[in-house]
Amino acid sequence: MSTEQLTSAAGPAVQSPAGAAATRPPRRRPSLRTRRAGAFYVFAGPWMLGFLALTAFPLGYALWLSFTNSDGLSDNARFVGLDNYKEVFTDAETLHSLARTGLFTALTVPLTIVAGLFLAVLVNQPIRARGLFRTLLYLPAVVPPVGAALTFRMIFDRDSGAANGLLDLFQVNGLTWLTDPYARWVLLFLTMWGVGNVMIISLAGLQDIPRELHEAARVDGASPWQSFTRITLPLLSPVIFFQVVTGIIAALQTLAPLLISLDPTPRGLGSVPESNNLFMIHVLDEYFVGGRYGYASALLWVLFLIIVAVTFLIFKLSKGTVFYSVEPERAKTKTRTIGGA
Amino acid sequence: MVLSRRSVVYMLLVSVLVLMLSPLAWLAITAFKDSTELSAVPIHWWPHNPSPGNFGKALTSWDYFGFARNSLTIAVIYSVLATLASAWAGYGFARLEAPGKRVIFGVLLSTMMLPQVITLIPTYLLFAKVNLINTYMPWVLWGMCGAPYLIFLFRQFFSNMPKELEEAAIVDGCGQIRIFWRIFLPQSWPVIATSVILSFSWTWGDFIAPALLLDTNRTTLAVQLTYGYMNAHGGQLNNLVAAGALVYVVPVLVLFLILQRGFVAGISTSGLK
Repeated sequence: MSTEQLTSAAGPAVQSPAGAAATRPPRRRPSLRTRRAGAFYVFAGPWMLGFLALTAFPLGYALWLSFTNSDGLSDNARFVGLDNYKEVFTDAETLHSLARTGLFTALTVPLTIVAGLFLAVLVNQPIRARGLFRTLLYLPAVVPPVGAALTFRMIFDRDSGAANGLLDLFQVNGLTWLTDPYARWVLLFLTMWGVGNVMIISLAGLQDIPRELHEAARVDGASPWQSFTRITLPLLSPVIFFQVVTGIIAALQTLAPLLISLDPTPRGLGSVPESNNLFMIHVLDEYFVGGRYGYASALLWVLFLIIVAVTFLIFKLSKGTVFYSVEPERAKTKTRTIGGA
Repeated sequence: MVLSRRSVVYMLLVSVLVLMLSPLAWLAITAFKDSTELSAVPIHWWPHNPSPGNFGKALTSWDYFGFARNSLTIAVIYSVLATLASAWAGYGFARLEAPGKRVIFGVLLSTMMLPQVITLIPTYLLFAKVNLINTYMPWVLWGMCGAPYLIFLFRQFFSNMPKELEEAAIVDGCGQIRIFWRIFLPQSWPVIATSVILSFSWTWGDFIAPALLLDTNRTTLAVQLTYGYMNAHGGQLNNLVAAGALVYVVPVLVLFLILQRGFVAGISTSGLK
């Protein structure tokens, strides 16, 4: 779709209400400052309203539900106080899924960041067809989650899958990959397949590092490894930090096992292999299969608080290890703008 | 023999590339197998009698294009609205000052970290109460408010534009909305392209929101594909699934390849730096 089409197609709808207000001739001209402040609220207003209605309100609603025994169907939901929250910390299944999710996060986040950085360094080398390598390595990250899950289901199919075909070449009997205990490996491979996202953002960070720094280091007799650990890594630390935070948040709410499992409709859960029964899967299970809206809401709020706590902790711990050559906001800026590409 | 550094880089890159692209290759190979080859022992690495007819079957055994149209509808609705609304809000955060702006911006940044799934279930209940289930209105509403990530993207871009541009327009008697619409937005097409692609692929790829909010007749390809293609005995016809999935994946890949070129051109011509 071209830009021209875009702007003309949806233009008037956005412009007219606010436009009318701004062009109305004011009786007594308010100061430039007041008018700019007013204009700010005109511009930020739609998002603020949306935030209140579509984010803050649902979150509050979930909080209220988490103190009830609502099942979503009958209207006689009763206030049960902290019962749901007590259950969160005594329910063995919940605790297991939480532990699994923690392990999954602790494993996949460092793995993808290291692998992504490694690939970014590779495609940042002065080699031929560099652009082609970058594009092709990023390509799997663009594949929609459902497409990726279906692909991996086929590769790891017991009878017709390439994985068992490969094992067969080495005289190893076929494995039932999509069930316990192997399903966790399929999930890990599927997650790692999206490493291109990390690669692109790290690459953008690498390109921001002035070349002169590395040249100066080489003149001073630094080895490539020294140059990488003493210059590249510190200068890249804000980018890595950003990826750790967003990576953890994404990993904690992973839904991929739902997609790889055979019957991934939310209304017919239950076929997710136990080793891949991550927290979000458990929540949806309680919600749709168990019909326990109150308890599921409490689970969601616990996840939310965990994310807030983890993020806060990382911010605290990163003090002193994250090195900002410019003010933090600018450093993030460039990453985002180029990374978004 | 000592390998040169460059050849080591090539070897590493090529082997990673083979590994990364092999799943897509396997998807394509499977899409061309006939039903007997699917279960051949030992497996066929290459279809012996390629059957391109799988694609025809995959697209007609249920209303493939109908579901594709549903996907396209919400993806276009969301990506167009979200891009415009995000540019709109991004301009405010980048160029205007007001009391309370810092706090509001802080809220915006923290919602970027807020997992969307957390609000999804209560949102489902809310939308059910106001009868918006099984309509495309949720995507209209979500789009009209913009997405924090995209707002941030536009804000960064608009922040980097020279102040003189705005001052000259104010001297000429332009209001802020005119400045945004006539001067800043037309200059920001690389971000617009990025934003459209990102928001389009989010919606095209999203599974959980349509699965929650839409009935089976109005749902998207992402959801319908997971029901797959069954034979008479309830077995999954993997060759048809592969063909269907391939056709489903292609639009996003093509959009991405277009963006690749557009974006590079955009950065070099828009005088961003």
